[in-house]
Amino acid sequence: MSTLRLAAKNLLRNRFRTSLTVLGGAIAVLAFVLLRTILSAWEVGVEYAAKDRIATRHKVSFVLTLPRHYIDVIRQTPGVQAAAWSNWIGSKDPRYPDLFFAAFAVDPDSFFEVAPELQVRAEAKRALKENRKAAIVGDALAARLNYKVGDRVTLVSSIYPGDWEHEIVGIYTVERGAFDRSSFILNWHYYNDAMPPERRDEIGWVWSRVDDPSKGAAIGLAIDNAFEEKDVQTLTMSERAMNMSFMGMFAAIFDAINVVSIVILGIMMLILGNTIAMGVRERTHEYAVLRAIGFSPRTIAWLIVAEALAVGLAGGALGLAVAYPFVNKGVGLWLEENMGSYFPFFRIAGATALAAALLSLGLAAAASAIPAYRASRLSVIDALRRVE
Amino acid sequence: MVAQTEPTNVPPIVLLHGISRTFYRGKEPVPVLEGLDLEVTPGSFLAFMGPSGSGKSTLLNLIAGLDRPTRGTVRVAGVDLAGLSDAALARFRADKLGFIFQTYNLMPVLTALENVELPLLLTPLSGGERKKRAQTALRVVGLEDRVDHYPRQLSGGQEQRVAIARAFVNDPEILLCDEPTGDLDRKSADDILVLLEKLHQEFKKTVLMVTHDPAAAERAGTVRRIDKGKLL
Repeated sequence: MSTLRLAAKNLLRNRFRTSLTVLGGAIAVLAFVLLRTILSAWEVGVEYAAKDRIATRHKVSFVLTLPRHYIDVIRQTPGVQAAAWSNWIGSKDPRYPDLFFAAFAVDPDSFFEVAPELQVRAEAKRALKENRKAAIVGDALAARLNYKVGDRVTLVSSIYPGDWEHEIVGIYTVERGAFDRSSFILNWHYYNDAMPPERRDEIGWVWSRVDDPSKGAAIGLAIDNAFEEKDVQTLTMSERAMNMSFMGMFAAIFDAINVVSIVILGIMMLILGNTIAMGVRERTHEYAVLRAIGFSPRTIAWLIVAEALAVGLAGGALGLAVAYPFVNKGVGLWLEENMGSYFPFFRIAGATALAAALLSLGLAAAASAIPAYRASRLSVIDALRRVE
Repeated sequence: MVAQTEPTNVPPIVLLHGISRTFYRGKEPVPVLEGLDLEVTPGSFLAFMGPSGSGKSTLLNLIAGLDRPTRGTVRVAGVDLAGLSDAALARFRADKLGFIFQTYNLMPVLTALENVELPLLLTPLSGGERKKRAQTALRVVGLEDRVDHYPRQLSGGQEQRVAIARAFVNDPEILLCDEPTGDLDRKSADDILVLLEKLHQEFKKTVLMVTHDPAAAERAGTVRRIDKGKLL
């Protein structure tokens, strides 16, 4: 028999209620971990950005295009090893109108020099150069939609109106986790040649590989200075910064997710606090007896806090035990394969798990603070008179 | 008027002087004890009797340090209770006093043995030593074969015996009994009274008992009546 054992026995007094409270806590932890992982997964693309790659876009916004001939100036900039341009196509497969994937129209001659992490057979790269209707698709998307080499696929686009017929000539895999495995890589010339004259020879952004990553900023500055006096000015930044600016579009969503994740834990704290308060109310007479036989107010308070910590610990442990397979093996894998554009790497970060564990314990202690204080200050005589 | 037990030169174990206790119903004062003096000799068995509302339980609560007087001094086992904090009073009760309640007040989630061990959690004894002392206490009250029973598995008389074991397991100087036979049948009540007598005579405990039961009062060495807050 010990004080902890007394606390444990009190917890098991109403197993159904305790089980529901633990389950509620576990669900709150699971939701918290999932939401925080969404936030951290957004940032993975930023962190996994190539160190030796910089990106050049229109100074005002990446939705505005650059003249194609800018690529020649960029390639001539000292320190630039290779450069390739890319346009966002915004395509959909009309057979799957609700399915989102990324589609880039690239310069087929230089793209793979700049993105070596994309692994695809040499024949596919050659086919992309020679066949304007060629398409190389990510392995995750190919698996999901059962695309095979040789398949003919028609894509539609809101940016480039019309039906665009393609032949799948290759399937790429990704060497490093940050690049989306569900994208289409298309031949830029196919789309450009079909544009009216006023829309031709416009490129979205330029990726450049630099020979010295430590000089990336200086090289970027040199590129921008080359276009400073032009009508269309550029903004060059590291790939990491480029990804971050893209993510900035979703800042409001991130803030909302952040707030919701905290609100969820707040709700958990209120539920736990209510459960603890109910238990304390039911056991007021017993606490008075303990005080009468010599238990100090502080010990009574610690008994209640210990119960709350046990419930918080159990809820947190159960939540994490469910979260890891659910996120890392279930939801995470599905998101990586089907929404790889947004979530190239979806795993629970150690910091998230640690935060969930600490918050479970901290909020449990906080939830028990008022009931514990009240129990420690109760009038023993009045409480002894109370009949349960 | 000073009420005393047997005349003796030994310092009293309980000394109350000029005790008054007034409660308030809203703003209206309700005096419960007025100008009460009491000296209890160590090793006494003293019963307090009186009608409901006479102040018997209030007197016991003051001696236990569960309540504070409106006026007067309370000195128990050599300790002036006036200057003690709540934590110090708890410590005092754990060291010096044992409680026996009318409704037993056992913890329903603990076995008989664990209930008796409760006061020992406040001592530096090891788990093994606590268990041993609790078992001894249960043997004294004749419940050595009920150690693993929960209160719901015991009769009223057995529950009260467990409560008595809990009250003296820490070897207190004083046992405070608030209507210890109030919820029991005659046979069980007599068993409890025999036990209290044993604790008084063999273990030399000072027993202060509040009771309505004349049979219980007969077991005490001294009976004092309280009426309208005054000790007669």
